[in-house]
Amino acid sequence: MILTTKNLRKEVPSGESNLVILDDITFNLEEGKSLAITGPSGSGKSTLLGLLAGLDTATSGEIVLDGIDLHLLNEEERAILRKDKVGFVFQSFELLPSLTALENVMLPSELKSEDNPRKKGEYFLERVGLSDRQKHYPNQLSGGEQQRVAIARAFACSAKILFADEPTGNLDPKNGKLISDLLFEVNSETDNALVIVTHDQDLASQCDKKIELKLGKIID
Amino acid sequence: MLATLSFKLFMREIRSGYLTSMLLSLVLAVTIVSGISLFTDRLEKVLSSETQEFLGGDLKFESNDTSIKDVLETLNLKDSKSSEMAILASVIFSEEEMQLSSIKAVDNAYPLIGELELENSSGTYKTTESPTPGNIWMDERLKNLLSLEYGDKIYLGDATFVFEATIIYEPDRGSTNFAFAPKTIMNIGDIDKTNLIQPGSRVEYNYLFTGPDEEISQIRNILEENRNQGDDIESLDEDDSSLGKTIDRSENFFLLGGLIAVLLSACTIGISSQRFARRHISYVAILKTLGMNLFQIRGLYLLLFLYTTLLTLVLGLTFGWLLQSNFISLMDSYFPTELPAPSLYPLYVTCVTVLICQFGFIYPHISKLLDISPMRVLKNDISFNQNILPIFFMGLMAFLLLLYIYTNQITLSLIIFSGVIIFSFIGIGCIYLLLGKSKLGLGAQDPISLALSELRRRRLSNSFQIFAFTVAIGLSLITFSASKNLLGSWQDSIPENSPNNFAINITKEDKESMKIFLAGNDIEVDLFYPVANAQIVRTKDKDDIIDRNFNITWVEDLPGQNEIVDGDWFQEGVENGISISDEIAERYNLNMNDEIILQMEDGSIETYIQSIRAVNWESFSPNFFVIGHPSLFKEKSSTHITSFFIPEAKQKVAAELMREFRTVSVFSVEELIKQVRDIVNQVTKALNSILLLTCLSALFLAFSALQDGFDQRRHQAAILRTLGATGRFIRTSSLIEFSILGLVSGLLGSAIAQTGVYFIEARVFETIPGFYPEIWFMGPIIGILIVSGLCLYLVNGLMKQSPKELLKLQT
Repeated sequence: MILTTKNLRKEVPSGESNLVILDDITFNLEEGKSLAITGPSGSGKSTLLGLLAGLDTATSGEIVLDGIDLHLLNEEERAILRKDKVGFVFQSFELLPSLTALENVMLPSELKSEDNPRKKGEYFLERVGLSDRQKHYPNQLSGGEQQRVAIARAFACSAKILFADEPTGNLDPKNGKLISDLLFEVNSETDNALVIVTHDQDLASQCDKKIELKLGKIID
Repeated sequence: MLATLSFKLFMREIRSGYLTSMLLSLVLAVTIVSGISLFTDRLEKVLSSETQEFLGGDLKFESNDTSIKDVLETLNLKDSKSSEMAILASVIFSEEEMQLSSIKAVDNAYPLIGELELENSSGTYKTTESPTPGNIWMDERLKNLLSLEYGDKIYLGDATFVFEATIIYEPDRGSTNFAFAPKTIMNIGDIDKTNLIQPGSRVEYNYLFTGPDEEISQIRNILEENRNQGDDIESLDEDDSSLGKTIDRSENFFLLGGLIAVLLSACTIGISSQRFARRHISYVAILKTLGMNLFQIRGLYLLLFLYTTLLTLVLGLTFGWLLQSNFISLMDSYFPTELPAPSLYPLYVTCVTVLICQFGFIYPHISKLLDISPMRVLKNDISFNQNILPIFFMGLMAFLLLLYIYTNQITLSLIIFSGVIIFSFIGIGCIYLLLGKSKLGLGAQDPISLALSELRRRRLSNSFQIFAFTVAIGLSLITFSASKNLLGSWQDSIPENSPNNFAINITKEDKESMKIFLAGNDIEVDLFYPVANAQIVRTKDKDDIIDRNFNITWVEDLPGQNEIVDGDWFQEGVENGISISDEIAERYNLNMNDEIILQMEDGSIETYIQSIRAVNWESFSPNFFVIGHPSLFKEKSSTHITSFFIPEAKQKVAAELMREFRTVSVFSVEELIKQVRDIVNQVTKALNSILLLTCLSALFLAFSALQDGFDQRRHQAAILRTLGATGRFIRTSSLIEFSILGLVSGLLGSAIAQTGVYFIEARVFETIPGFYPEIWFMGPIIGILIVSGLCLYLVNGLMKQSPKELLKLQT
């Protein structure tokens, strides 16, 4: 298994009591497979994705990512795990505005101190069809193009598992379809696992597995 | 509706804490400005009345004859009062003893200002009247030296008087030049009976005036027109005493500290306003989309800043009042009476400062904010118009205006202004040259590459930060150096164990035995200066006798506290010449190489003026108007003067000394030294408070500049952490980056401080400018420590939040 969760629970303080965002989340995902997490707004999808990717910590429960007990790691250890094993695509792209498209894609390789990050960056930009946009800054790119840069950056991570939070949420249907196809297409070329949070049922239906959340719980 | 909405917005901003740094800076600026201006305003008022009392009136005319009386009789003055006094030295006799005394003969209008405190057998009492004819008053020292009881007979010249009272306090302490001799006050009507004043007698006549400013200025003009050579006119703004100068310089320092704190706060306000405007882009776009017109939105924000101003003024003026009360309470032991209420000037300065800050540093940002397109609601990436020149221009103009208001000198303002601009450009140029062009990629392989890459990548914003840090460090160092310079000059003037006793009238015979006596009591003694009385005659014009006697000494080495300003001190091989003080050179129009004759009791000496000296009269050592070459005076008779320090535990030695050497007059300046030391200590406390507040303003500025930069870095840190950069990696890289910024800012700040201190010493404190190596050490060290320390604080704040929270904050 690349990802296993057991009795995951997340509470946040709300006034004098605690608000339960996620409760009793238990599932697993095999290596190289894809998982869609769906549910209405406020059901806890993005929170769950944050916990699975080690961006946030659960109140209780266990997460095992590629054999590592994520829930036992501190922030510094989780950062190293993210660098080595995790890739991300966000709904709002999260590109660095002061870096060009190529520099954004080079960033994961730089952080890993890999040789020739430029070559890898150029390869993945070409793979998402943006070779001619290497020197463009994010504000010079359309939403769809920015998300393609974000996908190129995610794959440049050489991750074991890729997390995508509403990757088509900010795009029109045509660009959304383009991005989802690209995501699966590039993913199929690797043996990465893919976890996607989405409202888009078409996108969810392309995944090997699907869990639906409602009020913080998995519904069957 | 607009008022309600803007008030709600104001309250929301206050609660959210986003207005905090702007508010704190404004409140700090108002506190410092109002505190200092209230304090200096009240201090000036009290000093003016103290000086008036010290002088004995608003104006004093000093002459060696009474010729001015004819002119004074022609004056038609309605509301002014005048008083005449004659001052001379004479020996006074009791039944058993005799003693040299300074005699002050006063008319019935004396004292014009204040009151005398006297003591008789019934105790102490205060009076505003002069002694009645036949009675005289003496100070306690003279009473003891003459072994007098109240009612005893006193003989002065050919007249007999009754000793009526002891002088505890006299208002016109500055009236006499015979300060060394114990004092007697008598009625001027009795002076003829004594026959003391004969042709050629050395008498000084003082004419004191008090009244409305217009009449005083009219009197001054008439006196100026009719003065003879050697006559002197003194008014309230010419207080040359140690205390006067101490307080005058500290006042200049307070105003300088205030100006610096305001400039620092103004920069902080500018940066905070920029952050405020950035945060309100969407808000303005939404208001425009909802149909609010430009006039209404402008009104909304102007009202918001009106509330900010009011809150700032209320808080700042309250704290300012507390600050000045604190300063006043530090000094109240010096001021015998309650301080007068302040004028409206401090309030005016404070309000003008706030207005300039609002229009120069806040309004341009708001104005730019109003230009934002409503399309921002649809397109998130629409931001400000990139032209920042108008904002810069307005800020710089406000900066210059503040400088002018506080210094009241256009040249000095332009010098400081150009200094800051030039050094900032040099700094920005250095950064551009040092860092070169950006390379491909973020350089995130290791913390050093990332730090250097960030420095290159953010050259423009780094330059602004360097500007802010440089201003903060440079201005704090100027305040620090100025306060150190002031304290240093005060400490130099009253060093530890500086002489607290003077002995005069020491005969040649007594000199050696007195040296043995003092050495036997473990008291170190300064030089024994020979003293004689001389009159100066200019030989180029035979009739030109300077109608005044001077105490003259002769020594081989230039005494400390003296500095040659023209000519040279006596060279080896040349056994001629005198050195005169710059005051008498100016007053009697004496120049270098003028040939003169010194007329002394036992003959004349022909010589010339070899040098002119500046004398530090604030020092507690014997000082002389005229010093001659020793070989000229070999055959001349003289007495000697010396000074020495008697520790508190050995005070009885002074009494023994007086008993042993009965013709020697010993007097203590311990009380005066103590008074000056006390005031210096109190002023030092006030000085340190100003330094502390200035440093606080500088810290606010550095923090605001960093915080502004960190807003932009927050997103980058979140993405880097999401992609696997550890907190340690980001912390190390930021520390390296900001240490470099701190180092560059520190060096530039040191350069600004050294230049600024040069001008301040030369122009404001009127001292000789010095080079301060410590500025060059402190600047870079403070720069690195403060900037990297604040950076660490902000980075740690970022690290406490999870990457997910940070990313959420951006959306």
